[in-house]
Amino acid sequence: MSGVSGRRRVADRVASVWMLGSVLCALVPLAFILGYVAYKGAGLISWTFLSQSEPFSFTERGGGFWNGIKGTLKLITVATLVSAPVGILAAVYLSEYGRGRFATAVRFVTDVMTGVPSIFVGVFIYSLIVLETGHFSAWSGALALAVLMLPIVTRGAEEVLKLVPRELREASLALGVPHWRTVFRIVLPTAASGLVTALMLAVARAAGETAPLLFTSFGNRFVTGWTDFNQPDSALPLLIFRDARSAYSTAQERAWAGALVLIALVLVLTIAARFIATRRSVRTV
Amino acid sequence: MAVDVRLDELSAWFGNHQAFADITFTVPERHVTAIIGPSGCGKSTLLRCINRMHEVVPRARHGGSVYLGREEIYGAHVDPVSVRRRVGMVFQRPNPFPTMSIYDNVAAGIKLNGVRHRKGELDGLVESSLQSAGLWNEVRNRLKKAAGDLSGGQQQRLCIAGAIAVEPQVLLMDAPASALDPQSTLRIEDLMAELKQQYTIVIVTHNMQQAARVADWTAFMTVLEEGEPGRLVEFDRTETIFTNPGNERTQAYVTGRFG
Amino acid sequence: MRLSFQQELDELEASVQDEGELVLRSLRGAIKALQAQDVELADEVIAFDDEIDRRFVGIEEGIQTLLARQTPVAVDLRLVLAMLHVNLHLERAGDYCVTIAKLVKLTQALEGDPTLIEGLEEVGGRAEEMLQVALASFAARDLDEAKRLVELDEHIDAANRRVVYDVLGIGGEPDRREWGLRMILVSRCLERIGDHAVDVGEQTAYIVTGEFREFTDASHPDAKLSS
Repeated sequence: MSGVSGRRRVADRVASVWMLGSVLCALVPLAFILGYVAYKGAGLISWTFLSQSEPFSFTERGGGFWNGIKGTLKLITVATLVSAPVGILAAVYLSEYGRGRFATAVRFVTDVMTGVPSIFVGVFIYSLIVLETGHFSAWSGALALAVLMLPIVTRGAEEVLKLVPRELREASLALGVPHWRTVFRIVLPTAASGLVTALMLAVARAAGETAPLLFTSFGNRFVTGWTDFNQPDSALPLLIFRDARSAYSTAQERAWAGALVLIALVLVLTIAARFIATRRSVRTV
Repeated sequence: MAVDVRLDELSAWFGNHQAFADITFTVPERHVTAIIGPSGCGKSTLLRCINRMHEVVPRARHGGSVYLGREEIYGAHVDPVSVRRRVGMVFQRPNPFPTMSIYDNVAAGIKLNGVRHRKGELDGLVESSLQSAGLWNEVRNRLKKAAGDLSGGQQQRLCIAGAIAVEPQVLLMDAPASALDPQSTLRIEDLMAELKQQYTIVIVTHNMQQAARVADWTAFMTVLEEGEPGRLVEFDRTETIFTNPGNERTQAYVTGRFG
Repeated sequence: MRLSFQQELDELEASVQDEGELVLRSLRGAIKALQAQDVELADEVIAFDDEIDRRFVGIEEGIQTLLARQTPVAVDLRLVLAMLHVNLHLERAGDYCVTIAKLVKLTQALEGDPTLIEGLEEVGGRAEEMLQVALASFAARDLDEAKRLVELDEHIDAANRRVVYDVLGIGGEPDRREWGLRMILVSRCLERIGDHAVDVGEQTAYIVTGEFREFTDASHPDAKLSS
């Protein structure tokens, strides 16, 4: 075959090098962060760290972040239970029924909400619930996270629902199945893996948020009960935030380890989300 | 029990754009009627008016009436969902439900409408529908497998089985074989010849020869002037349309001189 | 596949064979009427032609519809075109039977010559045989059987010539001469029926080989088809 002209070959090579270089530039900070956190935090990771709460005195070495881990788990569970149905139903409305101005307004508001600084969400819940009830609580923390997750879930779910081909809905409608049943028994199951992905990404985001919890959940030195949401509660990001600023190296050590645990948690959730998204399963109606 | 379908001055719009105007003819019961014509003349839209799928599109509206037997399907108290149970539809591209097994695809129309059957009854219904669609022997041993694993022709026959499982009176087919290879196309045509003994069938086809082969009656629609809505030019027995059509435009179309 | 198409083709062909049977009946009736100088039988033969014509029109329409709707190709197309021709040949053969019947009626008052009548019976018998061979070989798509018609055609031509010679020697009486002349026409009709049978045979060859060819060419009498 006749050769590609020399100039084009050179241009091609230059572009390849440039693109590769850009990719490396983007990856290096990520690799650096992961690497450094792992380096600094790995030393303290142990079953003790994961299962024990903080030592009473900051200066004491060892102990763990169990109060924060449990708190994070409680908070994101409730936040998901609240934001998932609301978010998915909102997405159903937007993709299946919403035409006209109201739907446009809803979409606009949702988009705006994704951009709201998370600290505002914290302040909002603070004034709405904390001031009313007079104390910090896990309830308010979970709600703040839910408000944060809601627009992410809604928009993500709407995108996934839009991907369900029109022909599928038509196939169901043409069989004489009413619209709402078509949505719940055909469209949603078909979009299921995508919806789970959207949810998990929202959860991963919420798990790492610190600001909304500062005025709502506030933090707690002690481990709270699984069903006790009336007390203030700890969370991983809160502990990391506090201990990283501490003067004591013992606390700082724990902060690094906590950061590693948090990154691992987010990583696991994100990877699981991708895994589920690529799976196909046969289910009955 | 199959019925005839009578169209009376039927028109349809998408917003301000009129797809077709004042179509009047009667589809005889338990025969195959084909609607042919150049692209854009409104044939598929016409078909979708018969099972009230046209109105699913936003800003879609219609004028005139459609009678299933004696009943006007656009009557004031008629629920479109009930019309769609009596008038089944098979689409151009096979669209079985991907998350469901073959068995569930056939049973979907029944189960989704909440009609309860004993297990044995449902099995029998699924089997007879697959038999009627000429697919039973090929799938009898893998009813629980995913529908997506079937070939295009098989998927289309699966959709046909699903459509007839709800025991409609009329079966609409929108270019059912256009996405398939020639062998599968001929199988579907043979299937239509059998199905018409039980159902009234209306098909839209872009392939004139297909209409000539399968249809007992043929309706020719076209756009008379650019920008105009589609209109019915001629409706007659297929032999007549293809040997001695009454209208010159019909002749120009079937001889391939136009459109 | 294409079950209804195959069915239509089969029905059309059955119709053509039926028409052939009708023509054979007509022929036998005409010959019988000739032998017995039976005028009533002759009238029946003439009336019976309506049946053949009805069959003819039905087959023509059926072929038109089949071509328009099923767009047959390859052997199916050759079959349909062959049937179109065979239909025509059979109808013409039927018309010749009517002519013979009319001639029988015309000569009813005249006295016949038994030797000549025997000769005509031979020609008629050969015509009947040729039609049967033609129809059977068509049904079986049997090329060799169809080619036999060439030889049979020579025989019928010979028989026809013998009748003509016999008529030439029939003598001077005006009644006898008139009768003889009419009988030459009868013999000619029978010989033409034989020709149509050969044409049917050629259609069988067309279906099988796909070539448009005559078995023998009048302008090249010695050149015979070897294929």
